[in-house]
Order: sequence, then C-alpha cells, then structure tokens
Amino acid sequence: MACMITTRPFLIKRGFLVTALGMGLVLANPVAVAGADIGPLPTLKVNQARAELGKRLFFDKRLSGDAAISCATCHQPEHGYANPDALSDGYPGNKHFRNAPSVINTAHKTVWMHDGRIGTNLNDVTRGMITESYLMNMDMRIMQERLKQDPVYVEMFKAAGLGEPSNGGARKAIPEYLKTLNSEGAPFDTGQMSAEAQRGMKLFKGKAGCIACHNGPMFTDGKAHNTGVKENFDVFLDPARHQAFLAYAAFLGVENYMNLKRDPGAHVQTHKADGSDMGTFITPSLRELKYTAPYMHNGMIKTLPEVIAFYNRGGDNDRHKDSRMKPLGLSSQEQKDLLAFLLALSGKPLTSSRHVWTEGYPQEYEAIANWLDVPN
Amino acid sequence: MSSLKKTPVLMTATVVAAVLSVSAAAMGDKPPASTSIGMSQVAATPAIAGTFAKAPDPAIPPLAPLPPPPIPLDNPMSEAKIELGKLLFFDPRLGGDASVSCATCHDPEQGWSWAEDISRGYPGTVHWRSNQTIINSAYYSKLFWAGSVPSLEAQAPSAAKGGVAGNGENDLMEARLRLIPEYVERFKEAFGEPLPTINNAWKAIAAFERTLVQRDTPLDRYLLGDSSALTEQQIRGKALYEGKARCILCHNGALASNEKYYNIGVPRAQRWLEDGLAQVTFRFEYYAKGATEELYRTVKDDVGLYFRNKNKWDMGKFRVPSLRYIGYTAPYMRQGQFYTLEEVIDFYDRGGFDEEGNTTSYPSTKTPLITKLHLTDEEKEDLLAFLDAFTGEEILMDKPKLPGYEPMFSLAELQAAQAAK
Repeated sequence: MACMITTRPFLIKRGFLVTALGMGLVLANPVAVAGADIGPLPTLKVNQARAELGKRLFFDKRLSGDAAISCATCHQPEHGYANPDALSDGYPGNKHFRNAPSVINTAHKTVWMHDGRIGTNLNDVTRGMITESYLMNMDMRIMQERLKQDPVYVEMFKAAGLGEPSNGGARKAIPEYLKTLNSEGAPFDTGQMSAEAQRGMKLFKGKAGCIACHNGPMFTDGKAHNTGVKENFDVFLDPARHQAFLAYAAFLGVENYMNLKRDPGAHVQTHKADGSDMGTFITPSLRELKYTAPYMHNGMIKTLPEVIAFYNRGGDNDRHKDSRMKPLGLSSQEQKDLLAFLLALSGKPLTSSRHVWTEGYPQEYEAIANWLDVPN
Repeated sequence: MSSLKKTPVLMTATVVAAVLSVSAAAMGDKPPASTSIGMSQVAATPAIAGTFAKAPDPAIPPLAPLPPPPIPLDNPMSEAKIELGKLLFFDPRLGGDASVSCATCHDPEQGWSWAEDISRGYPGTVHWRSNQTIINSAYYSKLFWAGSVPSLEAQAPSAAKGGVAGNGENDLMEARLRLIPEYVERFKEAFGEPLPTINNAWKAIAAFERTLVQRDTPLDRYLLGDSSALTEQQIRGKALYEGKARCILCHNGALASNEKYYNIGVPRAQRWLEDGLAQVTFRFEYYAKGATEELYRTVKDDVGLYFRNKNKWDMGKFRVPSLRYIGYTAPYMRQGQFYTLEEVIDFYDRGGFDEEGNTTSYPSTKTPLITKLHLTDEEKEDLLAFLDAFTGEEILMDKPKLPGYEPMFSLAELQAAQAAK
C-alpha cells in the first residue's frame, strides 16, 4: 500500500505535476509522487583532529565581532542544535527574523538556509554565518588573528593538518565538526519503531502525503514550497528584528523591500516578477524534531500536534500555496500515529563532551613573549 | 553584507590606485634619489639655527589665526543637518552591536579623543593607533595618521565600519535609521529625501564636525593683534618655536601643521610587546591593509605612509598633526608614546629619541629636519608655555537625548497584508 515511486521523480515537469494533482492522482491516492525513499543516513567519514578543532571553534565566542556569541549561542545542543525561541537572537544590537534550524545532520544537506540561498557547501555556510552583519558580524581577518593568538589553536590547527590558524582552516574544521552531528539511535534508523509509529509511517507515505516533499534519508526534497505558514508579526513589530530583515532584503535585491510585510523566502533566489514564489521555503528535515520546537521558518507553530493539525487542515491562507496542500482528513488516531512516527525520527541528545566543547577558553589573549623575535 | 569583507587581493588593487593618486612630492620628505634636496632645504635655511625674527623662510607659512573651516560644495552646511549630525555622532546604532558611537572613542570629556596610548576599540578588540581629536579636524585635507581618507565624509564610514572601531555594516545601519521616526523627519528636512540613507548620515556627521572648531585660542587672539593674549614667557616660547626649536618647519600655518608626512623618530609602541590583544590587532592591520606576505610576517612597527603608496622611503612616516587643542588630547604621537608635552619636548630636544635612547624602527627614512636642539631647561619651559597658547577653553557637550525606534507598520497593516496573501 505504501509502495513508493522512486523513479526519477525530479524529472517530472512542474506542469505535469500540476496536471497530475488536478487529476487527483497524488493526494487522493495513497501513492504519492516522491523522491528517494526515506531511510537511514549514510555514514560520513570524519577527520577526528579537524572535527575536534571544529568543535572548539563552534563553541568559541571569539568567532563573533564583539566576542559575545558563538555558533552555539543560537544552535544550542540541548535543543537539538536549534533554538527554543520562535525567532532567534542573532547578533547583539539587532535580533534575527527567522527560527534557527537544527544543524544536526546538516552535513547531509545540499542546500542551506530556510530560503535556500546557499547551495554550495558548509564551508560557504560557515563563512556566511560568521561574517553576516546580523548574525556574528565578524571580520574574518580579525578572527584569524584571534585564533593565532591562542596557543591551543596553534597546536590544534597543526594537529589537524591545517598549518597555522587561518580563516580557510576554520572554514574546513567547522564543517568537519558538523559531520559528527548525526542522528544517533533514532527508532526509525534502528528498526525499533512502535506499532503506533509504524502505522504513522504508512500515513506519512500514504494518506498524509508528507513524503511528497519530506523524502530521502533527510526527509526533505531540498526544494522550496509555499505551505501557507502565517507571518510572524514580531519580524515587523520589533524594530530590532525588522532592521535585520531590511538589511537582508536590501542585500538580496528584493524589489520594494521597504514595503515588504511578509518574508519573501526563496523569492530571494528566483525573483519572480509576479511574486508567485513569495513565501516559499526549503522543505526542512524532519529528523530531531523532538528537540527543535518551535517549528516552521519563523517558529509560528509551537508543537508537533499543532504542526500535524496545520497540515491536516491543508495549511493556512496563501493564494500561491502549493496545490498539494489540501485538507487530509486524518482522524484523531491517525494524527497520533503520525506524531509517533515523527518522534521516532529523533535520536539521543548530542549533549555530551563527545559533541560539546566543555574545556573552556582562555579569558584573555596571552601576549607572545618574544614578539620581536618571531615571525608574525 | 555577508561578504568576505575585503581580501588582500582587493586591497592590492586599492593600493595601486592610491599609488597613482598620491604624489610623493606632496607627502613631505623626498624619496632617496632626492634626499640631498631635502638636506639642502635644511641647509638653505640657516636662519633656523638661530631665530626667524630677522629673515624667516618665505616658503614656510607663518602661524596664523584660524579662519572658518572650508565647506565642501557637495555638502553645504545647514542647521538641520548639523543638529542631525550631532545626534548621529552620539548614536551607537551607527556601529555593529549598537554599543559604540563616534563619541564613545572621540569622547568630548577626553578632548574628543581617547586618553590612553592606543585608542579603545570595538568590544572584543583594541585599536592600534592613538585616537585623534575631532576638534579642528575640519581643516585637514586628509584624515587618519597616514592620511588614508580625503574628507570627513569619508572618515566617518571608515571609522564606523572598521573592524576594530565601529564594525558596523551599511545596510543594517541604514535600516536602523529608517526605523527611527525622528530621524526620518530630520533626514527629510536636512536632505530633502524621503528616507534616511547611510551616505547622508556621514554627510550630516561631517557637517556637525565642521562646527567643532576652536578659533579663539590665546594664540589666535595674539595673532589678531591682542598683544596681551600671550605672556612674556609665551612670547619667548614663540620665538623658540619659530627658531631654535624648529617646530615651525612642520607645525606651521593656521592649523600648525603643514599636513605633510615625516618620520621624526618616534619609537615603537611598547604595548605591542606586552599586550596580546594589541598583537592581534597589529597583525590584523597588516592583513587588512594588503601587506605582502613578507611584510606581514616580519613587520614589528607601524609603517605609516608606506601603507598608501608602498614606497620604501615612506616607511614610518606620518602626517604632521595640528598642535591646536593639545592641552586636552594627551597622550601624544601615533601610538600615544608620550603622555606629557614635557616628554614630547625632551624627545625633540634629543633629536628624536626617547628617554631610553629608543628611536624609529626605520632610521633610513627619518627626516633630517629633526636634529638635537640643545634647549636649556628655561627654553623648554618657555616652549611648553607657548604650546599652551594653542588651546582655548575646553569644548564640552552633553550627550543629546537620542530618538527611539518605532515599528514601521501597525498590527492592522500587517493583518491586512496577511489576509491579502
């Protein structure tokens, strides 16, 4: 019943897909048009010395302009390396306008950010997060010299085969650390799902149609869709957030950005003149949801049952909403089953020293004693 | 915004442009090929061995009363602009984390500068040079110690955006201004445009800075004919200034600076040997300014003018600062090497050496204008007394009350937009 169409789904042209939807083939039928089947994630090969260095960097506040925040300030281990606030804090002096996504399993992605504006690699993502004015606002040239001033980094970069501390080296080490943040022991992966969760998986692949977008080992098609999530008005009512939003929209060339009253999402990539791509966001992974509430790009939905209710009613209002967003007619029991399945996609917390830098940092920059005699 | 910021490659291009636009001849000391000319200039002014009272060198502009500051054609003054510029000067939202304004480092209570050897920096950093006063900055044709920017309009963003200064970013700072309704109104009045722009913010700050001038010092009054404005001792000091002490060779004209570049022998800042944070910034400056790998690895002092034109003979040269308002701007020299004017006078008297005999890291570029002065203790006191005449009343200003942010849209407008989606 829950059999999968796995043959070249991405070659299906949009027009055909719409036609197929119009014919009621997708949601009315338990067989959803989908990408690769869901399944366990592949194991990544990790350079341990680099990953260890990346771990120290990830938790180090000296990687932000005023040395007040680290990557982990927003991507918090105890919250699945996501953030418990609907909208994350961002850099001091402003606040952010989106929810910080989990970075667990991020090494398995091919596109990053809710609007998908980075589609290359984690090296670029690392650079983007560290230098972005409303995120960490770091001039990486200063960062490099801070790293060079810390003897622990001098040793760790050497041990990692990265020479002396450098921006390039940091941008290799942090992604290597991120490769160590993988779902561990999720019942879905270990084959120990409850009967309830197994029923939920059938719904996921069938009646609920989730798999149309949430497919593959990461439970995402890596594409942008409009599901009609309501705007988080705090983005516009809090000037600290609105300023970051305006800076973002101005930089990405969104037309008439001063008048925007909604998050353009992936429109920043596609810039369709008719605005039909406004409010599209990259399908997020469904792994580790147990820890990463609240949900959606703007944290507008607080709990998973509410997320399921949102999809069950076919999403909220938007004239450009993906046509596959239709009421699902899930019963109360079916919603519970689906929830059980979603929770089975979360593993153990990654909060021990295996993943978290617990050894602290020096409180000040030690002077290089024989400064005149050594090369800079 | 999320840029790599500047890379050394880009900076190299900038430097090439700078070389093309900078005339070495306008910089102060001549390059080595014409060193003999530089020497002969000194030799050709025998009067400086004694006093200029009889035959001052006509090439050296005399001290003069300070005229009103020049106003650029593309940024005329207006009351609205000056008042806006004052608010912006004190507003920390023109910076990265909204904690440091222009006035944080250029503190009115500290001579509109910073009373430590090296200026404080952006949080998490320290600067690498001494902070220069805003007072009379309107008169310089180039700003910063190595003259890296041509106007106050260009200086403001350079400071507000520099990683160890304001660390701000244009789009974000501009967005902040637009979320402050009082600024929207004030920018409209000052510039006639519907919304604040970041470039207009720099213009407003520059206009405000052009009001921070001091033209009524004892020296100005004396030069305008009030012979009682200077004491007898100060008048003796003035004669030394213009003669035996040779100050007038560079500290001349109304600004008491010829705005040229010299290596006068100031030694390396001791702080770089002792302070890890200062070492971080030291290397950053060379990375950021586009030094060669070799220079970055080996340099242990501030090369000054060399940053702009990459001429070896300009290593360690800096723009002559004005002596006006120095009563409030201690410490002195590019990294605040001297805390008192007595130390400064002793430094010159020794021919450009400090108490311990330290001098420039680049002796080959040291100007021949600096020689031992053989001043007596009494002459030093007279000179010191005259230096006081360059400073008038302290210019103080209360921090203005800054306008607040307001949301740009009402909840009803947002709800209507939501419903229309």
